[in-house]
Amino acid sequence: MSLAAEAFVSQIAAAEPWPEKATLYQPLKEDQILLSDSASSLAVQTFLRMCGLPVQVSCCANAEYMSPSGKVPFIHVGNQVVSELGPIVQFIKAKGHSLSDGLDDVQRAEMKAYMELVNNMLLTAELYIQWCDDYTATEISRPRYSSPYSWPLNHILAYQKQWEVRRKMNAIGWSGKSLEQVYEDVSQCCQALSQRLGTQPYFFNKQPTELDALVFGHLFTILTTQLTNDELAEKVKSYTNLLSFCHRIDQTYFKEDKGSRSV
Amino acid sequence: MLEDGLLLLFMHTNMAEPMELLCWGGDWDLPSVHTDSLIVLAYAKFSGAALAVKSIDWTWRTITASVPQLHFEGSTVTEPTQILNFLRKQRFNADYELTAKQGADTMAYIALLEEKLRPALLHTFWVDAENYANLTRPWFTSHSPFPLNFFVPGRQASLALSRILLTKAESPLLNITEVEGKIYSEAKECLNLLSHRLGNFHFFFGDRPTSLDAFVFGHIAPLIKAPLPSGQLQKHLNQLDNLCQFCNTILKNYFTDASAEKRMDCSPTATHDPVDANLQKLTQLVNKESNLIEKMDDNLRSSPQHRPHRHDTKPSAPASENSTRA
Repeated sequence: MSLAAEAFVSQIAAAEPWPEKATLYQPLKEDQILLSDSASSLAVQTFLRMCGLPVQVSCCANAEYMSPSGKVPFIHVGNQVVSELGPIVQFIKAKGHSLSDGLDDVQRAEMKAYMELVNNMLLTAELYIQWCDDYTATEISRPRYSSPYSWPLNHILAYQKQWEVRRKMNAIGWSGKSLEQVYEDVSQCCQALSQRLGTQPYFFNKQPTELDALVFGHLFTILTTQLTNDELAEKVKSYTNLLSFCHRIDQTYFKEDKGSRSV
Repeated sequence: MLEDGLLLLFMHTNMAEPMELLCWGGDWDLPSVHTDSLIVLAYAKFSGAALAVKSIDWTWRTITASVPQLHFEGSTVTEPTQILNFLRKQRFNADYELTAKQGADTMAYIALLEEKLRPALLHTFWVDAENYANLTRPWFTSHSPFPLNFFVPGRQASLALSRILLTKAESPLLNITEVEGKIYSEAKECLNLLSHRLGNFHFFFGDRPTSLDAFVFGHIAPLIKAPLPSGQLQKHLNQLDNLCQFCNTILKNYFTDASAEKRMDCSPTATHDPVDANLQKLTQLVNKESNLIEKMDDNLRSSPQHRPHRHDTKPSAPASENSTRA
């Protein structure tokens, strides 16, 4: 969307209150969704819960194709469809709900920088492990991604997605990295997050912000998803304050689902 | 080529470690026009590492080497982050005074630069038609040997375009015009955030420059200094005084020697300054007699001696200078 169209849309968005029947779309939870998409979806859900906005989660096999940007999750609010955490945060800000209003300019700069760190390192590492590591791609990613489709579409779509992700890794220079280097990068990213968090309850002391939602989404998903080996989860587990951070947000915002989740 | 050799010799006289850095050459008052090379050069200056800087201009390495590249005792390191790690292991650490939180902030801000600013920089220099045709392509063509000058700029441009499209464009619409608005607005926001974070300080973490300063310098210096025909991002950056001041401070404090020596090195057709013509004459004289090299080195390094030399020769007629310049 061009900038003028975006500004127009956000003005319209500001006019309407949050409806009862807002829906969040993601791929099928049990069979299809992969680590990176699950992390992004959980981040958006956490953010909406932190804002106190109710949303229904709907799982569809073709969520990726319904999305305006090709990425999941996306939310359907009123007659607008917005995808990805960044645009969703702006959309919700236009409606008058914001978690980061209390921050000054320097803190806001820090928050955005850390969000980019998570996107740059954690998300890219998740994509790399899923699609560029042959063993994981063959055992987990391709079967799961193509599970709703029949032969030969499942093969075509899975290989197409793998090819796309590998091209992207090539363009940003990650294709030359080995798996150990990627794990090392994840570890450094977690170390940076852990040092920034320190002993505070949230990244910006008492109030949760979109950064907390994003970090929770990724870390919780890494901790609770079964991959071919546990090395990624082990890297995260070695930072105890991040573990307690995830636990705290889980308890605070997801307590009604407590029975079905466990760290 | 002789001037190249002289340049290396001048820099070698004060060096102990034979660490060699390959990078693109400099122009527009900068030691290098390439962002990644600038990052490494700046960090080396901040941490006190002595590097033998070898420019790959006019060599076959313009197409074979991935720049910047550090050679030391047989091992080769590429990519700015890896080179910085390597330098830290060699005990050239500009970050040792940072707290753990500041170290974490460094990583975060570097990620911000890479995600938000780098695509717009690539676009400004390599994809924007006017800039590419009038500035970038002529520069890289003139700094590559025949026949590589036909391939090098085009290859860099297509790499830049594909990187922007693959990372920023939404997959159904792989069209650069859709993405342009988005990447420039993100880049402007990133510059604003950096400006807010820098505030009134000289460097990002107090009074000493660190690796974050090197990264920011590497990204914004070409944008400030390059004479871009169409530069909306450059205009935006020029309004952020503290960032321009930051860049100029680093250039003045850490790179004045390099830029003065580079001016000796530039091609004759580009100099219309009679002072530079004099320096050119001098270098040609030195080529003939090698024992004058030490005397030249001493004269040029101590700048108070250097300035009166310039003022004395300035009033002399430029015509005579041009005729004697062979």
